[in-house]
Amino acid sequence: MSRTPALSRRTLLRGMGALMALPLLDIMRPGTARAATPAPRRFVAFYTPCGIHMPKWTPGGEGAEWSLTPTLASLAPVKGDVLVLSGLDNLPGRPDGDGHHAAATAAFLSCVKARKTEGTNIRTGISMDQVLARAVGAATRYPSLELGIDQGKGIGNCDSGYACPYANNIAWAGPSTPVPKETKPRAAFERLFADFDPNVTQAELAKRKAYGLSIIDAVRDDAKALQGKLGTTDQRKLDEYFTGVRELELRVNAMDASGPSCGTSISPGDTEDVREKTKAMLDLIVLAFQCDLTRTCTFMLGNARSQRVYSFLGLSSEHHAYSHHQRVQANYDALAKIDKWEVEQFSYLLQRMKGVQEESGTLLDHSAVYFSSEIADGNMHEHKNLPILLAGRAGGAIAPGRHLRYGGQPLANLYIALLHMFGVPATTFGDDGTGPLPRLGA
Amino acid sequence: MGLAAAVVALAAGCNNSPPKARVLPGPDAPGTPVDPQDVLCRSAARDPGRVTLHRLNRAEYDNTVRDLLGETGSPASSFPPDDHGFGFDNNADVLSMSPLLMEKYSHAAEAMVESAWTRGAFKTCVLDPAKPEACARELLKTFARRAWRRPVTAEEVERLVAFVTLARQQGDAPEVGVKLALRSVLVSPHFLFRVELDAAPTSTAAHPISDLELASRLSYFLWSSMPDEALLQAAEGGRLHEPEVLEAQVRRMLADPKAHALVDNFAGQWLYTRALDFAQPESRYGFDEPLRAAMRQEMQLVFQEFVTGDHRFKDLLDAPFTYVNDRLATHYGLPKPGTQAMTRVELKGHPERAGLFGKGALLTVTANPDRTSPVKRGVWVLEQLLCKGPPPPPPDAGGLAPAVDPTLNIKARMAQHRVDPTCSGCHTLMDPLGFGMENFDPVGRWRTKEEGGALVDPSGELPGGKSFNGVAEMRAVVKQDPDLSACMTRHLLTYALGRGAEDADRCTVRDISQQAESRGGRLTDYILAIVRSDAFLQRRGEAEGHTP
Repeated sequence: MSRTPALSRRTLLRGMGALMALPLLDIMRPGTARAATPAPRRFVAFYTPCGIHMPKWTPGGEGAEWSLTPTLASLAPVKGDVLVLSGLDNLPGRPDGDGHHAAATAAFLSCVKARKTEGTNIRTGISMDQVLARAVGAATRYPSLELGIDQGKGIGNCDSGYACPYANNIAWAGPSTPVPKETKPRAAFERLFADFDPNVTQAELAKRKAYGLSIIDAVRDDAKALQGKLGTTDQRKLDEYFTGVRELELRVNAMDASGPSCGTSISPGDTEDVREKTKAMLDLIVLAFQCDLTRTCTFMLGNARSQRVYSFLGLSSEHHAYSHHQRVQANYDALAKIDKWEVEQFSYLLQRMKGVQEESGTLLDHSAVYFSSEIADGNMHEHKNLPILLAGRAGGAIAPGRHLRYGGQPLANLYIALLHMFGVPATTFGDDGTGPLPRLGA
Repeated sequence: MGLAAAVVALAAGCNNSPPKARVLPGPDAPGTPVDPQDVLCRSAARDPGRVTLHRLNRAEYDNTVRDLLGETGSPASSFPPDDHGFGFDNNADVLSMSPLLMEKYSHAAEAMVESAWTRGAFKTCVLDPAKPEACARELLKTFARRAWRRPVTAEEVERLVAFVTLARQQGDAPEVGVKLALRSVLVSPHFLFRVELDAAPTSTAAHPISDLELASRLSYFLWSSMPDEALLQAAEGGRLHEPEVLEAQVRRMLADPKAHALVDNFAGQWLYTRALDFAQPESRYGFDEPLRAAMRQEMQLVFQEFVTGDHRFKDLLDAPFTYVNDRLATHYGLPKPGTQAMTRVELKGHPERAGLFGKGALLTVTANPDRTSPVKRGVWVLEQLLCKGPPPPPPDAGGLAPAVDPTLNIKARMAQHRVDPTCSGCHTLMDPLGFGMENFDPVGRWRTKEEGGALVDPSGELPGGKSFNGVAEMRAVVKQDPDLSACMTRHLLTYALGRGAEDADRCTVRDISQQAESRGGRLTDYILAIVRSDAFLQRRGEAEGHTP
């Protein structure tokens, strides 16, 4: 095979057939000698749609004296690593009229009330994970990672006059700029891991960088030529383009032959089975952290107002339909099954993270792993007393293993506290954040 | 009182939240009293609006690289999903750019250029290693003009040719440089966005778009792809905006197989056919992949006839023909055509299957997995055909509770909607339209009994006193509704422009639907009326200080 021009590994793999499983990559074998540097702190936000049936969620007891409820049962192996936070409200998630799911999903990590529009001039606020990415993202190859399961049906209105970006994204780089998520495990894996060529020489690498940067210079000039000829809204799109080019430039500059030196894995296959897909995505999160490719990740187990049918749980109707339970016991039972499954996925992630040993502790010890839904009760579209779990120790900033009741504080204050754990000195956040939520530490 | 007026009146009483921007009055039926809207539109100026800088969506990207490079590998399938707004995923406002996408574009460009080069797509001249510039200049100029959908300046070409110099400095062959240049063309904003310039970006005065910009509007509307050589040349000649030239191009383009994009992308979203991919009916309905595929193809083939044939657009509601294979014919209770290939059949003896409301694809995606949903079906008719989205349900409203008395039919069980004052305002409108389709089960099979054993009652009475019994009478009511034409226009215009048709566009929508109906009412007439409208031919800037 010709050595010029250097084909990227991705190109080679594509040429060899998209369905082929990637071999175990050499570059992913565990590193032998590693410097004893303190492990970085990581953050995950795990979103699950349509609320939670709260009577089977909320533990009795408080402080360290609490017991697992039916919905939380799967957390038993990591109970000491989890905080259950009750009594936090996200009132900016309330819509104008209806549209609770989309409005609250837009506010899920932003705590900013979304502008009601089916598309024109969408606006919410920057999300907490993106604030974090701006602060700590430069240290890693990817400032943040966005993953999810649903690609969306692509028809109709997403939620009562609220545009689909609100329903399909929890990460927002700016008030009008959602950060799209990867919904295919294989594509996500290839992006993270398949783009290294272990046989490349230093000279070739230098040349590739020069070529990559020359393309970036050219297209940046093209974009600059458009500036001044566009209106405000168009300029915003062009700004998104400039941001993309800048990130691409960072990626090219960071190119090196060795690639990530970390745990081993093989590429996940493409599947639409939600169980396999979820597991593959959660494995990817762990792997990305192990390899220190990113330190901030958001994951959407479904899009807002999910119409998924959980046939593997013996359920025949759609999640969103059950969530409008009308106080009917059969619907409660269905919701409890779905909620339990969702928490099991979260528990799987926590156990995987707990299984990764790092310098002075586990990956879970060094992380803050956040779980919630955009609303609490789905029938009433309740934006108060949200179902919240916070797992991990964030390198000592969190003292887990407790149930804390807050009696109506803004969710935004939890985000301020989390930002503090990562060294971001926020004093306010979103529409209603006033200061860090107390009592998360010892 | 027409159905449309009734919606407005009723909606105001539902949960005290009147419908907002989504209600758009349409033209009146002949002989009705003068509508104040009509008077208003007689004198009102038409604002062409502005389309936001439009990033190619995934379908547009794939089609464009297919036509540009012969790339058939659907590279966009590994891109993150596009969001959609106003019912369509070509809405420029919600098509964001992101670092993740830029990475994907960059990788796709590299892979596509390599594979096109290997296929010999760039062999119009020979790159002489000693003096490659002339050939490189020719190749790159030709390619960039097509990829950027406009003539390129000498300066832009020299900028691309400079990659050859760079490659030489790095000790590489000229082809390495040309390939870098090709990649940069494909990652450039001129390729990824449909650029339309305003001479005065802060002036709200309307101005015609250029013929080249018009060529792209046309090709992405009708083909979801780039202009071909004939269209590009017509635009470069400066005469594309002339009505006869424009009409000739539209007719030529609609006859091209690439116009199938209207079926996939416009109809696929307007008629909800795309949602069929995600439908998960209960296993007891025997829904499987061959049936899903047949239903999808049926809808596509029927709509395709409206693109190329001589049918009135409104006849979509009761067209007396369809396409079935043996599997779908059995499902529908029609005579088998004797083949697994989709075959055109007349429906004279099966009037219940005529038109949209007899199509399995629509009936399945508007049902719940385990039962029919008269509400979903009724709302679909209101939103997609009459543009009368009902106001949202009250906060405590839910799905239908499991039947306590299975001997009652669904209509009787839903009677609560019409008793409870918080629900009745909207449901007296939504439910009857759905009841009219109750003879179709959740996967579109004909039935006279519900699963619980109760007899189906497909009758309904609409506010204002119009009543019907069964799907044939129901669709006649909808077809006669004065708002149908304006609503079809509104969806088509939203798709054509890639921006929402909103209140400010109501007179434009009115003009288009009246013009289209007066010229014969075919889908082609609607398309022509749209491309002749100021909304399609013009744009304007944005007032300064406007911070969206």
